[in-house]
Amino acid sequence: MDSFLSEKNRIVRQSVRAFCERELMPIAGEIDNEARFPWEVVEKMGKLCYFGIQVPRTLGGAGLDSVNYIILIEEISRACASIGLCVTVHNSVAVYPILAFGSEEQKRKWVPALAAGEKIGAFCLTEPNAGSDAAGIEATAIRDDGNHYVVNANKVFVTNGGIADICLFFVRTDPRAGRRGISVIVVERGTPGFVVGDLEDLCGMRANPVSSIRLYDCRVPKENLLGAEGAGLNIGLAALDTGRMGIAAQAVGIAQAALEEAVRYAKQRRQFGVAIAKHQAVQMMIADMATQLDAARLLVYRAAVLRDKGKPFSQASAMAKNYASETASKVTDMAVQIHGGYGYSKSYPVERYYRDARVTRIYEGTAEIHRMVIARNTLGI
Amino acid sequence: MKFHIIVCLKSVILSMSDKPIDRSPDSCELNPFDRPALETALRMKEKYGGIVTALSMGPENCMFALYEAMAMGVDQGVLVCDSAFAGADTLATSTTLAAAIKKLAPFDLVLFGTRTADSDTGQVGPQTAVLLDLQLVTGVQSIENHGSVIRVERSMDSFREKYEIFLPAALTIHPNSIQARDVGLIGIEVAFEDKEVKKWNLLDLGLSSDRVGEAGSSTRVNSVSRVDKERKCEILTGTNEDQIEELIRRLADSGLIG
Repeated sequence: MDSFLSEKNRIVRQSVRAFCERELMPIAGEIDNEARFPWEVVEKMGKLCYFGIQVPRTLGGAGLDSVNYIILIEEISRACASIGLCVTVHNSVAVYPILAFGSEEQKRKWVPALAAGEKIGAFCLTEPNAGSDAAGIEATAIRDDGNHYVVNANKVFVTNGGIADICLFFVRTDPRAGRRGISVIVVERGTPGFVVGDLEDLCGMRANPVSSIRLYDCRVPKENLLGAEGAGLNIGLAALDTGRMGIAAQAVGIAQAALEEAVRYAKQRRQFGVAIAKHQAVQMMIADMATQLDAARLLVYRAAVLRDKGKPFSQASAMAKNYASETASKVTDMAVQIHGGYGYSKSYPVERYYRDARVTRIYEGTAEIHRMVIARNTLGI
Repeated sequence: MKFHIIVCLKSVILSMSDKPIDRSPDSCELNPFDRPALETALRMKEKYGGIVTALSMGPENCMFALYEAMAMGVDQGVLVCDSAFAGADTLATSTTLAAAIKKLAPFDLVLFGTRTADSDTGQVGPQTAVLLDLQLVTGVQSIENHGSVIRVERSMDSFREKYEIFLPAALTIHPNSIQARDVGLIGIEVAFEDKEVKKWNLLDLGLSSDRVGEAGSSTRVNSVSRVDKERKCEILTGTNEDQIEELIRRLADSGLIG
């Protein structure tokens, strides 16, 4: 699979894999159980620039391209999907919009600390009544004395919510302008009125502190508006194109881990006098897992290559996200099946992969929304 | 005093095969025993200043090992690469590396790992030092700089040995002496965008073709075959104490514990 990658890509993969196998893989089960965010590892990841992979070197990042970004997320997620989620959301839907739509001053103010992992980013779009229907946002930002916005918001299921320092809030700045009345305002943790809710008790991705964040009459300087007033949905959609690619890479990483575990177990577990890998029924599953995984990975790489070439990649990103997330669900399901009863037990990691894979079909655009996008593009309607 | 430290690296084969292996980034990795030598060089550079050069002999598609070294902080990479170098044993390899090291002069230290993970001879470091007429200490665990001399320490069979040697010198670095740093993403970008690997061939080194590669090798490998170890599983029975006693007896009988 790696044969068509560059030497640089391979070194990125090897070095991230070596780090994650040593630092993250051994604790992934434990932090899932305890729903604990592993700051001790995340700090080391910050020093290796995992939180600024695509940030220009002039702003403290590594300046690497999207293919390397995909490889990074895939490898972290192979070891621990919760932390893969933290890194992909931070890079793609928090840092990227600031780089793409922020002023020079905004970039200088926020990006270096984000790239170093000293501050963690979050993307606050989903609300109790708005998710797939992003235009249904009810959060408001009203200019008061001319220099500030007063922001009120109730955002739910915020990835990194419990630890995020720099949060992109999607708010309505013009209640009468419909889709064109939505803007993005950067709100820093610690601003009076910024309240982090309880952490969600989730089925998977348990080491990521997903939470709600509420803003109560939060006074935010007008300089924190990202892009123009009313540009929120465009910023959001551009961010999500990149974000989906990251989630697709995360799904590939989870599926890769599940396939490796299934292969290991199938060779070791004996039934009817032979390793179960010798049974055709198991071989059929392994063949399907390996093929679907490679297909998913190729779709993700294609989206990344298109993005690096500056070509439209929205459709490719939607296809990659949709197919990779479905694949992760199927592959982890088969990995559990190959493990039999042990696969359903916490003695083996495949049950965690199974739980972690499930949400990749829901967040950053549900499988259904992606199919709608793909269908509309294909039909030209 | 600023140092010029040369670290010799090899890209080793990940797993042996019955078929001939094409050395490539997919089938090879940077020899893990070379990483402590790299780390030692980089720490000395950080402490005393100077430059670190990574040197490797191998086919062109093994250049990745040098890029990885540069991503860790090495200043420049040199790949000695020529079809004439193929099939080299340790003597022919050392002859080639020694010629490249002379071309890189002036230098203060030449560092090697103690051995390689694929062929495991441990001969290239010492042979290269002899060919260059350099003082050599093997299995070094620590280095102290005292101007024109360095003090190094090695431990062997429960004894600690200390040496004071004049520079330039050659050292092989003990694999447990130091933990190599992780490769960061900025380092990777810098290695590929800002640094370069020089390529030298037979002509550049001024060597005759009968001294290098298979022609210059004094040994020949007649054959390589896989050894399959038979493993069996036995379940000990009885009380826990009986099982432990039996296990200890068996391990002692087979010489695995003293």
